[in-house]
Amino acid sequence: MSESPDDAPKKGIEVPLGEPTVSVRRLSVHYRVSSSEVERGWVSRRERLARRLGWNRIVTVRAVNDVSFVARAGESIGIVGHNGSGKSTLLRVIAGLETPTTGDVLATSTPTFLGVNAALMPELSGMENIRLGLLAMGHTPREVRKIVPDVLQLAGIGDAIHRPMKTYSSGMGARLRFAIAASDRPEILLIDEALATGDVASKERSEARMAEIRRQAGTVFLVSHAAQTIEEMCTRAIWLHQGEMILDGPAYEVARAYRWWAWNLAKGEVAKANGLLEDARAQLRATVVHPEDPTTDRHISRHAHPS
Amino acid sequence: MSEPRRRFSDGPVVERVDVSRLSPVGRRPSLGSYIAQLWGRRHFIWADSRARAFAGNRDTLLGRFWLVGKPILDGATYFLIFGVMLNASRGVENYVGFLIIGVFMFQFTAKALTGGAGAMAAGKNIIRAFTFPRASIPLALVLRETISMLPVLVTMLAMILLIPPHAQVSIYWLLFPVVFLLQALFNTGLTLYAARLASAIPDLRLVLGFVSRFWMYGSGVMYSIDRFVSHPTLLAAMQLNPAYCVLEISRDLLLYARMPDMTLWLTLGAWAVITPLFGFIYFWHGEEEYGRE
Repeated sequence: MSESPDDAPKKGIEVPLGEPTVSVRRLSVHYRVSSSEVERGWVSRRERLARRLGWNRIVTVRAVNDVSFVARAGESIGIVGHNGSGKSTLLRVIAGLETPTTGDVLATSTPTFLGVNAALMPELSGMENIRLGLLAMGHTPREVRKIVPDVLQLAGIGDAIHRPMKTYSSGMGARLRFAIAASDRPEILLIDEALATGDVASKERSEARMAEIRRQAGTVFLVSHAAQTIEEMCTRAIWLHQGEMILDGPAYEVARAYRWWAWNLAKGEVAKANGLLEDARAQLRATVVHPEDPTTDRHISRHAHPS
Repeated sequence: MSEPRRRFSDGPVVERVDVSRLSPVGRRPSLGSYIAQLWGRRHFIWADSRARAFAGNRDTLLGRFWLVGKPILDGATYFLIFGVMLNASRGVENYVGFLIIGVFMFQFTAKALTGGAGAMAAGKNIIRAFTFPRASIPLALVLRETISMLPVLVTMLAMILLIPPHAQVSIYWLLFPVVFLLQALFNTGLTLYAARLASAIPDLRLVLGFVSRFWMYGSGVMYSIDRFVSHPTLLAAMQLNPAYCVLEISRDLLLYARMPDMTLWLTLGAWAVITPLFGFIYFWHGEEEYGRE
């Protein structure tokens, strides 16, 4: 997977890296959900009765399984994987919106999360939503007046700003929410598929803003199932499959490996795809996050050994 | 201090992380810093309550009229059923005024209960999009309900003055804002409780309709409860009901021009202090839950 000089592909903007901003240590998220899937083999009498009464079996879904990594200031980290690979769950845990089953997430400040939800207040105009959002982020009305032009410029949705947000296309809504969230230059910005829709000009504006955040010692996470987006916008990528980390490395390499695997899977070459998955997994070097506190000069906890 | 990745020949990558600069995500702040954050969001609470009041009135033809129109229609219904058909008015001085005060004042508390239960679901878009102390959402609701109660109160006073037998303005009317304030404080606590309970157990939203109806019949909205309840212990228990205290005090002040019983004031006062205090702490305890799907 070497890069040929003549068709230099678009890559994420590189900025110098700094101190760790997010530390994810042996993180697992397991859900207990009911499943109507019929189990093959032996089924207990109690379970058969329960199923006849309409209760479904409770199964454990490993949405995220033993994931460890450290993100640094200046990094733009893409998280790729198929639908249901646990990438959105991982992002929501980093945002603090969901509690992990085991493991922990440490961060320098509360991450700003940009999810896939539609309009904020659908009845209100985009302009009123901007004001309300900025106030929710803790700005005073005076600061809001100062920030609004910047948000408008970044969102770039023109006169639509005065229309109710429920009339927006999903792309327009996503751009507006990105513009509000990014106006603060948050230290840690988490984006869930929000920028996948959008024209070239707006993509460039948002990428410039993300680079600016990273230059000011920020970290950006971007979740997408499109390898292309990750390759263009990120410097590093993590490939998740069924909750497990497959690869963690430069965005270009990880995205290419992921795309090659996904292409084979789509063509029905399941055996080859599984082989590629195993190859990628073999390349991955497990990360051990080792917490230290120099102020007390002792280790916070014992070495966490990878399984 | 943290250093760049240290690679061993074939072993795992060891990342040394200086944790003195990092803290766990999604933890609820201490009560003190929570209150400070909430104070920092006062402009947001104000803006959110206005935005929702505006959005809520949009889909009806008559809009804001329903703020006053609904209690008038409720009152007319209860008047026909309880006043005319069941003859509950027997022995009640100025039954029409009695009923109007009951219906108008009780719905303020009933709305705090049902509105609080729906608050977190109604605000979920904003909760998922931004980081802020979640108590802003129920507090904005209380603020909106309290402000929209003002025109309702003016209508109520106009009605008891205009409809025969006319109530007379007395010096006791000056104490009426105090009851309203105590009721608003009690409602604040109630909304906070309902907001957390219903966000944890969504089924409660269905049950609360029954609770509020049961509560209404137990608060003497359309009849005087001492006429129907003769058991002294049960009567004493029913008189601890804060909604009952609000209605009794309001009727004494506005209709009958007399000083309400001190027990009623003290009971209501206790509810108005304890409920918001405990409700706030209860809500704050659940702070980590509200953003979840």
